Amino acid sequence: MYLYDDIDQAMLDDRTAEFRAQCARRLAGEINEDQFKPVRLMNGLYLQLHAYMLRIAIPYGTLDSAKLRKLAHVARTYDRGYGHFTTRTNLQLHWIKLRDAPDILDELATVGLHAIQTSGNCIRNLTADPHAGATADEADDPRIWAEAIRQWSTFHPEFSFLPRKFKIAVTGAPVDRAAIRIYDIGLRLSRDATGALAFEVRVGGGLGRTPYLGPVIRQGLPARHLLSYLQAILRVYNRHGRRDNLWKARIKVLVASLGAEEFARQVEEEWDRTDKASVDLPDTELARIRGLFRPRGFETLPARSAAFEAARASDAAFARFARRNVLSHKVSGYALVNISLKAPGETPGDASSEQMDVVADLAERYSLDEVRVTYEQNLLLPHVKLDDVPAVWAELARVGLATANTGLVSDIIACPGLDYCALANARAIPIAQAIARRFAEPETAERVGELKIKISGCINACGHHHVGHIGILGVDKKGEEFYQLSLGGSGEDDASLGQILGPALPAERVAPAVDQMVEVYLAQRREGERFIDTFRRTGVEPFKEAVYAEAD
Amino acid sequence: MKALTANRLADGEVVFWRAGAWVERFADAELFDADEAAETAHARSQSQITLLVDPYLIDVTLADGGPAPLSYRERLRALGPTNKLDHGKQAAGGGDIEHLAHARGAARSTGRVALIKRK
Repeated sequence: MYLYDDIDQAMLDDRTAEFRAQCARRLAGEINEDQFKPVRLMNGLYLQLHAYMLRIAIPYGTLDSAKLRKLAHVARTYDRGYGHFTTRTNLQLHWIKLRDAPDILDELATVGLHAIQTSGNCIRNLTADPHAGATADEADDPRIWAEAIRQWSTFHPEFSFLPRKFKIAVTGAPVDRAAIRIYDIGLRLSRDATGALAFEVRVGGGLGRTPYLGPVIRQGLPARHLLSYLQAILRVYNRHGRRDNLWKARIKVLVASLGAEEFARQVEEEWDRTDKASVDLPDTELARIRGLFRPRGFETLPARSAAFEAARASDAAFARFARRNVLSHKVSGYALVNISLKAPGETPGDASSEQMDVVADLAERYSLDEVRVTYEQNLLLPHVKLDDVPAVWAELARVGLATANTGLVSDIIACPGLDYCALANARAIPIAQAIARRFAEPETAERVGELKIKISGCINACGHHHVGHIGILGVDKKGEEFYQLSLGGSGEDDASLGQILGPALPAERVAPAVDQMVEVYLAQRREGERFIDTFRRTGVEPFKEAVYAEAD
Repeated sequence: MKALTANRLADGEVVFWRAGAWVERFADAELFDADEAAETAHARSQSQITLLVDPYLIDVTLADGGPAPLSYRERLRALGPTNKLDHGKQAAGGGDIEHLAHARGAARSTGRVALIKRK
């Protein structure tokens, strides 16, 4: 994976030294909160309900064991021994003290970690397909391109004060595992008829108060022109994006108001007059980055592993794990292993320092020293030999990380909600816990099949509720927590925005309502239909009837 | 009835005003019957920039047989996160914590409304 060079490291070291001085000035009263707040936010430090929260960037969701161990160490030393992985594949620590923040950033910098691009109206930390470099269906490793964008966008002077924050997701595969349609820019790489790499470019997706799925504005963009094309998009946005109204400042509003076609025309016009060579990455630099992502150490193995098959035949729990959490790899004899951070009753996305250390050890020993963070708030070991999966599973089980529920009803996305977040209307975590407990029996969850539940504690939609098969949004009804349910959303290839079910429900009615809707699905589903397929066929009525019948 | 709250600058801890000083437990907070006294304390707190971030007044109710913040958000600040009962102020336990955990007042948090307005 990518390693920071001397330039990257010097930049990080300068940055932490600068922040140390700024913190000292704030604590001494030389600058006030209004002056300090933008500075601390640009270093990932937010003030939440109970303490400061540090959001640590995990570029394109890729970690090695040294980085993950450092995260575990920081959580243990400066926080309360746990962290929260987010839908943006970052890690948030909830109990940070301002006076410790410079020391934490110094510690993180020793392994190339930081909190740059985790706040502010800049190009934020990028996300990518978590299966990158391990899946047979990709045209190219999207992280190569994500890293190129990272280098180009970090501290970019022209794009440090955009109208609003700006998020980019990249995939190299036809199957979307990076939710590229809900991003400000969603990039998909493929090979054209001549075998050359080209991007499909989507712009103007996003959730929040006004959700949109991003339309395609460009097909077949030659990959080598990625950066100049991104510059053209951002220039049009910087020029015409609204700065007068916070709620209309995202690029999605500009794209929607101009129309995708007109927006694309303006981008092409800007791009035509761009000196592309001065912006695009030289081939030599691209080759250097590519070299750093080239996986090393794959062995030549048969496709079938006797050890794996034997474990599957003899242990029903392992067989379930193999069915749900073990995915096929592009290299014969290897697998991707999904690590669920969704044990029923636990907080979605949370991992303790001990768990992080165990995953780091497993990555080092069994996964070519790589770990991924997924936007669905799980971890993933991308390069595990099938022969080693039983040992990995046993070790994961020892620390409560072997829940076999990938993509099932208990694999719920939830933001921190009102338990931690200063902006939230309502709690998200206890709702997720109540639902997951109802479907804690693995047989039950498997019988229900794929069902993606996504919960946000406010309209900012960090929990992606608009694109949940069942979406749950916390609202504030005269100071009481209520939850608005929506159905039929999806953030993937069959992307759609959910449809509101009916009046918001009080907290204690949410998990039973999910249960009722699952019953409707089980009664009505046809062969091979997932929950969302049945919903799309029947419409909202039977679900609505089941949930609201007793209220009438 | 009102109380004055803020987050402490150096560590972010939720604190409450008590006669010119800041305390960590809501049970120790000074309660203002008169709006004028509350406003005076609030004005004084706003100059304590080396101690605090964002002091604001919250509504307090006696409806449940003792003082408790009227809004759920403010009770949560006075207790800690509900998914980890061993974290935050609630970890210390005691009758006052029990009382807050069971109080049922409902109103929008003035703190949150102000926060959103400032954005």
